[in-house]
Amino acid sequence: MAEILGAEVDEEGYLLKVSDWTPEIAEVMSDEDSIELSPEHWEVINFLQEYYKEYEFAPAVRVLTKAIAKKLGNDKGNSRYLYSLFPYGPAKQGCRFAGLPKPTGCV
Amino acid sequence: MQNNQIKLPTYVETPSINKDSMAGEGPFKATVEIQNNLGFPGEKVENWHQVAIDKMSETKSKYRSVQVFLDSCMKCGACTDKCHYFLGTSDPKNMPVARQDLFRSVYRRHFTFAGKYFPKLVGAKDLDEDMLDDWYNYFHQCSQCRRCAVFCPSGIDTSEISMAAREVMNVIGVGQKYTNQILGKVKKIGNNLGMPEPALRDTLLDLEEEIKYDTGVDVKLPIDIKNSEVLMVSPSADFFAEPHIDGLIGYAKVFHESGVSWTLSSYASEAANFGMFIGNYDVMREGALRIRKSALDLNVKRVIVGECGHAWRVAYSFWNTLSGIGGGAEDDYALKLQNQLDSNYPQPQHMIEFTYDLIQNNKLSFDKSKNNHRVVTFHDSCNVARGSNMGDIKNGQFILPREVIRAACNNFIDMHKDSIKSSTFCCGGGGGLLTDDLIDLRIKGAKPRMHALKQSEQESGVNTLAAICAICKSQFSRVLANYDFDPYMVVSVHQLVSDAIILKEKLDQ
Amino acid sequence: MSPISIFFIIFFYIASLIFILGVSYKLVQYWNTPVPLKIPIAPSSLDKKGVFLRFFREIFLFSSLFKASKWTWLFGWTFHLALVLLFFRHLVYFWPGDVPLILYKIEPFKYAAYPLVFGLTGLLGRRIFVDRIRYISSPSDYLMLLALIFIALTGMFMTFGHNHPNLLMVKNFTEGLITFQWSELPGEIIFLAHIFPVFCLIAIFPISKLLHAPGIFFSPTLNQVDNARKRRHISDWASKKDNDLKIELENNKKDD
Repeated sequence: MAEILGAEVDEEGYLLKVSDWTPEIAEVMSDEDSIELSPEHWEVINFLQEYYKEYEFAPAVRVLTKAIAKKLGNDKGNSRYLYSLFPYGPAKQGCRFAGLPKPTGCV
Repeated sequence: MQNNQIKLPTYVETPSINKDSMAGEGPFKATVEIQNNLGFPGEKVENWHQVAIDKMSETKSKYRSVQVFLDSCMKCGACTDKCHYFLGTSDPKNMPVARQDLFRSVYRRHFTFAGKYFPKLVGAKDLDEDMLDDWYNYFHQCSQCRRCAVFCPSGIDTSEISMAAREVMNVIGVGQKYTNQILGKVKKIGNNLGMPEPALRDTLLDLEEEIKYDTGVDVKLPIDIKNSEVLMVSPSADFFAEPHIDGLIGYAKVFHESGVSWTLSSYASEAANFGMFIGNYDVMREGALRIRKSALDLNVKRVIVGECGHAWRVAYSFWNTLSGIGGGAEDDYALKLQNQLDSNYPQPQHMIEFTYDLIQNNKLSFDKSKNNHRVVTFHDSCNVARGSNMGDIKNGQFILPREVIRAACNNFIDMHKDSIKSSTFCCGGGGGLLTDDLIDLRIKGAKPRMHALKQSEQESGVNTLAAICAICKSQFSRVLANYDFDPYMVVSVHQLVSDAIILKEKLDQ
Repeated sequence: MSPISIFFIIFFYIASLIFILGVSYKLVQYWNTPVPLKIPIAPSSLDKKGVFLRFFREIFLFSSLFKASKWTWLFGWTFHLALVLLFFRHLVYFWPGDVPLILYKIEPFKYAAYPLVFGLTGLLGRRIFVDRIRYISSPSDYLMLLALIFIALTGMFMTFGHNHPNLLMVKNFTEGLITFQWSELPGEIIFLAHIFPVFCLIAIFPISKLLHAPGIFFSPTLNQVDNARKRRHISDWASKKDNDLKIELENNKKDD
């Protein structure tokens, strides 16, 4: 099993245990994807984690965009903007950086 | 996302074969835990060869399709240029007949006289490690879209063979991670996402707020309301993903306008049924039984299915068999439910049928100009197109969605006739292949559909691709950019409805 | 009786026996294998009449093949139609006793041999020259086509080359096979070469892809009425699961 900074990840690079997450892990993952984490990225990552703590599940993309709109302004509350932050998808790449399990299903 | 773009030719070319161009290990394999959740062995069993042969024997004795299809291929080649994965990859093992032959050659070797005594003559082969690897790799390069079956003079349906092969592999402990993990989540939580009830409720409330904000009308998305007229079963992607969620909003608005009471179910929060993809009757039945239980518990009169391709095939063609959701039963088990359901309506119904009926009866009004910025084309989802019907009229599954789109949009244009209706091309992500580890295959498999779309874009200015399948929508969102399209051009049919529908409550104000 | 005649008499009975027993076995097997699910394929039919019409189009016009490939359709359909015409043409040799007038009247059917060879050559050509079809072909696929071409050419050589064997002997021989009063075969090599592969094909019918002929009628994709919502379709083994569940539920109730 592969590891990032001592935390076990699955074959697709998602943490096996959410509790293993540290901000440094997100930095390493984003480096690997050639993304530099900006404050906007962190807003998304933090919201994903908050939501997950409450619901044990990642927020729907629509819920996420609205939350981001509230925090960063209406012009940024849309999925195009989120995709510009996370080219492989806010749900998938965002969840990975935030240490959440990968969303499955027809998504 | 914009890298490795594929240049499209001006016409669909049948490629020359390029052997082993898609050879490989196939998608990620399921872990021990995932396999055990479904009652399959966690790892490849020691006597796998014997177990596999026994399972083949059992499967062909329980499914006439498998037995007949294994015998009656005359190798005419009619199907060889019909599979989108062959057209996109040029690997000859992606030709439907060659894919079947991976299974058929083993059948011949073990179950037929000619194959036992003259294997070389009739192309019979042993089930060895290499063959098993080929099974795993190439039966996960089939989306079970059944396009080949439309062209087969013997009616041979590769999806039946592909399902049988996956069933055999699961039984020996070789399962696919993506599909089997999802099936485990349905079993445990009730939907493919693994979305727990509180998150679902929260999302629905959020959507109600959004609709209120956008329209000023209190459109509800009810859940677990007993004695509702309609139980709505939609793919869980409708609760989570883009652009799916706008389709869900569309259903809600249509129900609101119809005045028919409806409810979602937290127990049966999934229309999709991946049990079909792995050819396992029991797993598929378990999924259908969740809907049955919800329909009974919530005491509904009708069951309606949202925009999900294979789910509609399972619902339309299999639910009556699997769980008695349907009509015309004579046995107590099915009648218990069927006596509760309203026999004035087909059971189950597709959301498109519900909306279409309302349009026919002038119960919905539209401001079509709201969609004037769109030139819409419609992607017939493979399972709807080739494995179901709508409206109980001949070809209704092609007519009704188009009529609903036309009611909501001024500009509708079909793609090339060889790429729509019963000849429609798969999006490239169906049948349990909508997973990142198969992205190369998915991009290549989308090529024939993308070509037809490109043609429509150039000739008619098409800028919107409407679909009625969660897999199609996700797959297109992911691969459109690789073919130089805007990934946001894909929409739910009910998003088009949602954008144009006039909510009466608002008129009154 | 000559050893050659004895050989062909025995071969005929063996081939026929394999054919009859083998095909019966397959038909019974197909018939007895359950069809647990409704899997009609588009363009499916909503009623029985539609299914009947669909089979008519498939059997007589090869409509799916027509949609798939015009060339394969042209060669395949021509070959099968010619084969049927030639089968009727050959009845005159088998008919026991007085031959009905109609069998003489269809004598021009013999010209179907030309389209037969045309169709078979086309099919063989596709197998050799189209890379996709070459890939899926086994030796047996070529051998069957070659055997059929060989049968056609030897037949044409006899019919159109005025190399007829003694037709009375042929008729006596075939009548003898049916009435068990065996008589001598004509000894011409060309005639023996004509009938030998025919007997071979009859013998391998139930163990080869020739099974596509009866198989098509059992294809659930083609023969099912698309009415799953209106009638509950359930196989015996699946129905048992309903009962198991019912019993389980009742037991649960008792436990409660």
